[in-house]
Amino acid sequence: MKRGHRPDYLLALGVSVGLALLLGAGIMALTGHPPLEGYQLMLQGAFGTPRAIGNTLAKAATLCLTGLATAIAAQAGIFNVGGEGQLYLGAMASAVVGAKLAGLSPWLGVPLALLAAMAAGGVYAWVPAMLKVKLRVNEVITTILLNSAAIYFCTYLTNGPLKTMERGISSGTDAIDPAFMFERLIRRSSLTESIFLTAAIAFLVWYVMRKTTAGFQMKLTGQNGRFAHYSGIRSDRLAVGSMVVSGAICGLVGMFEVFGLHGRFITTVSNEFYYDGMLVAMIVRYNPLGIILMSLFFGAMKIGGSAMELNAGIPSSLVVIIQSIIIFFMAAEQGIVSALRARHAQRKAAQTLRKEAQE
Amino acid sequence: MNELISIVNLGLFQNTLRTATPVVLCALGCLMTDHVGMMNIGCDGMMLIGAFAAVMGSWVSGSWMVGILFGLMAGLLLGLLYGVFVIKFKSDEFIIGVALNIFAGGLTTFLLRELTGQSGTFHAEGGLSTLPRLQSDWLEQIPVIGQLLNNNTLLVYVAWALVAVCWVVIYRTPFGFWLRAAGEHPQSLRSAGKSPERMKYIASLLCGVLACLSGAHLSLGYLSTFSENMSNSRGFIAVACVIFGRSNPPKVFLAALLFGFIDALGMRLQSLGISSALTATFPYLGTVLMMVLLVWRNDRKKKRLARQTAKA
Repeated sequence: MKRGHRPDYLLALGVSVGLALLLGAGIMALTGHPPLEGYQLMLQGAFGTPRAIGNTLAKAATLCLTGLATAIAAQAGIFNVGGEGQLYLGAMASAVVGAKLAGLSPWLGVPLALLAAMAAGGVYAWVPAMLKVKLRVNEVITTILLNSAAIYFCTYLTNGPLKTMERGISSGTDAIDPAFMFERLIRRSSLTESIFLTAAIAFLVWYVMRKTTAGFQMKLTGQNGRFAHYSGIRSDRLAVGSMVVSGAICGLVGMFEVFGLHGRFITTVSNEFYYDGMLVAMIVRYNPLGIILMSLFFGAMKIGGSAMELNAGIPSSLVVIIQSIIIFFMAAEQGIVSALRARHAQRKAAQTLRKEAQE
Repeated sequence: MNELISIVNLGLFQNTLRTATPVVLCALGCLMTDHVGMMNIGCDGMMLIGAFAAVMGSWVSGSWMVGILFGLMAGLLLGLLYGVFVIKFKSDEFIIGVALNIFAGGLTTFLLRELTGQSGTFHAEGGLSTLPRLQSDWLEQIPVIGQLLNNNTLLVYVAWALVAVCWVVIYRTPFGFWLRAAGEHPQSLRSAGKSPERMKYIASLLCGVLACLSGAHLSLGYLSTFSENMSNSRGFIAVACVIFGRSNPPKVFLAALLFGFIDALGMRLQSLGISSALTATFPYLGTVLMMVLLVWRNDRKKKRLARQTAKA
């Protein structure tokens, strides 16, 4: 993005968010809920108590990682829509390692689980990346289909060969060693030590994307593959590499869920976390810094939305509607602006013509 | 081995036809947009909204016909929405498609709660008016084929008919010619006095209508209820079938049948004690494999051709 365009873009973003929130208010009013109260409850639910703030930050961390995972692939011109599946497999791999290595020192067990999660996610992203690069199979479709396959496969493992014998657990794998679990930073909130890892990864991804040659090459590849190719950039390798990194990050997100919250793999380990992060990344056009900031906003909306549902009976899926409306506007921003400009120019031309005719 | 043979029976092929139909209808819509050069990956969301609208229509009025009508109206609206954003505002069709899918998930969940007070799966008190099954005594008398073709719901036959209709329209009428020209040579179409934008709008409306019709079949014909995210990535399988069948309706139909067969085979394998979650992965993995095989074969064909021309 050129520097000169930034204010324009920020204005468009502000207008889009504002319009989407207005439309959300309209929907609330139409369904018989007072909109102001709804948004107030949302705000309270997101920041009202230390616990709420913790939950919001934790949510933001998840969105940030999944958003960056989308961005790092998209920047290299390959779309990873399969993060959800990679997340599931990463969670499953880490849960298996965490349970099998019980008794080991956490200094060894946790990094091993970390590696397992990254490997599972990375390999599962490598497959569609190779198919895209070698055979030109559309990666959007394959990654989406592989999502469903991975989720069903994990469900199969959880209810079949890896089902825990523990009582009272209807659908889950064996518990991981409690010593491996991340400490909670705020009591009863889902904010755990994993936030530090998240911060480190976010910084690393931003650094790689913005400050290194590889990041620049990725950008070139994504913007103009042929040009990048003739500049001697091995764009295929870059695309595969960034896809694998993207998958590894998604696997990590799954691991954080298991080691931070659930203590085992459960089939509801993620609730479309990846798609939420993908929305964040798309809204800010894969800008890493933008993703970090925007995920705070979206995290607050998500957490606040659940509180709103609990207290006012407004379904939290309203948040999803608002978010997708923001995307619609942001995707159409340039088109709408140029359509408005064209109309303005037309009117001006008509005016001058009329004036000239009068004279 | 005997067990393996035992799963191949008439029921397998009946299930193949049943599971393939939503995909066929949706794929017919999607291939329209592909012909004008804007592949709609938002089909899955359109299908979901169509399914919801159809169930609501049927629930409110007590008639499945009104349900279908609601589904068709939703399709027109969604097609218009997609068209305005992609054609008029020149947005990235991929982003709009993704946004449409997420929007559909949020909207249907929200409306289900607000309109019916229920969540998860919709239970209509006193039952839902669903699509009738068509039966013919004449067909019943033909062995095997008669049983396969008989006793399906209305939209199954509509889907079969539409495969032929779409083929004729796309490849044998001036309209179809303009449609394809809008995707391949918009400039030539324009100099011939036709507006490519208009053809694109028509394609996107057709896509919305057909995708929502497939949703209506899913909720009123196939599963007889609405549940959250019930489209279950079928729309993406439809997109894969379009790619697989190169947007040619009969070929896309065959691809969808192949998908249906894998799905039905998975269901039959459950009777051998294989976990349903495991067999549920089959259609998705199978579709990916199908795409890979197709591209690989085309690749080899191209290479062979190149070698022949080099020799010549």
